[in-house]
Amino acid sequence: MSAKLIVDGLSHHYPDEYTGIDVHALDNINFEVEEGDFVAIVGPSGCGKTTLLNILAGLLPYRVGGAYVDGVKIEGPGPERGVVFQEHAILPWRSVARNIGHGLEIRGMPEAQRDEIVASYVSLVGLDGFEDRYPHELSGGMKQRVAVARTLCADPEVMLMDEPFAAVDAQTRITLQEEINRIAIKTKKTTVFITHAVDEAAFLGDKCYVMSRRPGKIKAIVDIKIPREKRIWQDMLADEEFIAARDNILKLVREEVTNDE
Amino acid sequence: MSNMLTEKLNRFKAFWKYFSAAEAINNILVVCIIVYIWNFISGAIDNPARYLPAPDIVIESSYDLIYKGLLPVYFGETMARLVAGSFIGLALGIPFGLVLGLNRTVADIFQPILNFFQSVSGIAIFPIVVIWWGNSEKTVLAIILYTAFFPVAFNVLSGVRTVPRRYVQAAQTLGASNWQIIKDVLIPGAMPHIATGSRLSIGFGWRAVIAGEMLAGRQGLGWMIFTGQDADRTHEIILGMAIIGITWIVLDRYLLRPFEADTIERWGLVQR
Repeated sequence: MSAKLIVDGLSHHYPDEYTGIDVHALDNINFEVEEGDFVAIVGPSGCGKTTLLNILAGLLPYRVGGAYVDGVKIEGPGPERGVVFQEHAILPWRSVARNIGHGLEIRGMPEAQRDEIVASYVSLVGLDGFEDRYPHELSGGMKQRVAVARTLCADPEVMLMDEPFAAVDAQTRITLQEEINRIAIKTKKTTVFITHAVDEAAFLGDKCYVMSRRPGKIKAIVDIKIPREKRIWQDMLADEEFIAARDNILKLVREEVTNDE
Repeated sequence: MSNMLTEKLNRFKAFWKYFSAAEAINNILVVCIIVYIWNFISGAIDNPARYLPAPDIVIESSYDLIYKGLLPVYFGETMARLVAGSFIGLALGIPFGLVLGLNRTVADIFQPILNFFQSVSGIAIFPIVVIWWGNSEKTVLAIILYTAFFPVAFNVLSGVRTVPRRYVQAAQTLGASNWQIIKDVLIPGAMPHIATGSRLSIGFGWRAVIAGEMLAGRQGLGWMIFTGQDADRTHEIILGMAIIGITWIVLDRYLLRPFEADTIERWGLVQR
């Protein structure tokens, strides 16, 4: 059986927006993500991880190598790959419910049929009672809950998350990480989660792929065998396995940062 | 159901927050001061009937005009022209701006051209339109339409282009087609600009109606003040000017501006 998501020999160059100098962002990236796996990709800033995610999302055309979902080459954005962006991506003129149901609406599902599904995702992300609110009435954390629910509600094959909690405050981030873990248990969605935060990657990932600094490659894979049900921050901070994995990833990432100096 | 009603009621209340008693008192105060100074000057000069008739003379003359039925007819004609001209201007300008805004290259080509026409005022194109269609109703309407078209088209074009790319990308990753992106992202995203552009267009249109009536000699408020000069009826000129100004203030302050502010707020462009 072949993997859900395959990245095969992917390299990417682009001219810098301001200087025009060629940037070698990704260098021969190879990995596979099995169905139901939660992969966290962690690396220092500027390592090309967002470039990688944009390519997987189909928002950035690439020429060298290939990326495939269910064996089909990625050649543009598509509903089988849902994306949760860092911030400012939910539509401000749509209510919470209408943002979450947007994917179903796009698919042409009649409203009566949508309502029930939307309601279940509103509950899943804990936004009951906020269905008719607009994004400007919500906190940053709630907006990201809407973004997560919107992506899940469209029921993609693969979920791509681009540092979704980087812009929320520390307390909210911890809560949201636990929520994502709970949702992962419930939906078993194949997920690629991009982050620069080492503890976040260790907390959420079944596997953590550590990227090198530019040109980005996968320099190490760290397996995290802690059962999802046990992943609660309070326990993890004292869990030897978690601490070992986190320190290992941290060391791998730090090597890349200090090499830069 | 009752929820819907509360929602409607709240919207209505929110809409009314654009009006206040304090503001009304301020306005009345300012008007009183102006009228007082006007009255003083009028009393101090020779031959005020010709140069600056006193406020009470002007108000008195309005009874006469209303009684004879001329003023309501003029006012009606002018308003009808404004509504017709700006309606057609907006109906053409909004889709024009939207379509141009969709494509970056097309937008880049057209933006300076729109800017050019926006700066060539309705008065400046008047002579050529008269050569085409004479002093007709068509001429006046064409001037209003021309004046109303460009500000809204220009604003809508800019509006479409300021919709964040992120919104478009988010819709794309949900599987949206190009048409769905236009309908669900670009048009709603440009809504505040559509509202602002419409207000500007109607404002310019209002100036164009008055000028158009004067130059083309069509019955209306503009024509009334223009002929007032020939007939030495200064009180009618002042009355006409006051009506033009007051009509615009009422229209803008109590209809267009609240509509614009409400749209901007409703479409969520208030980011906190």
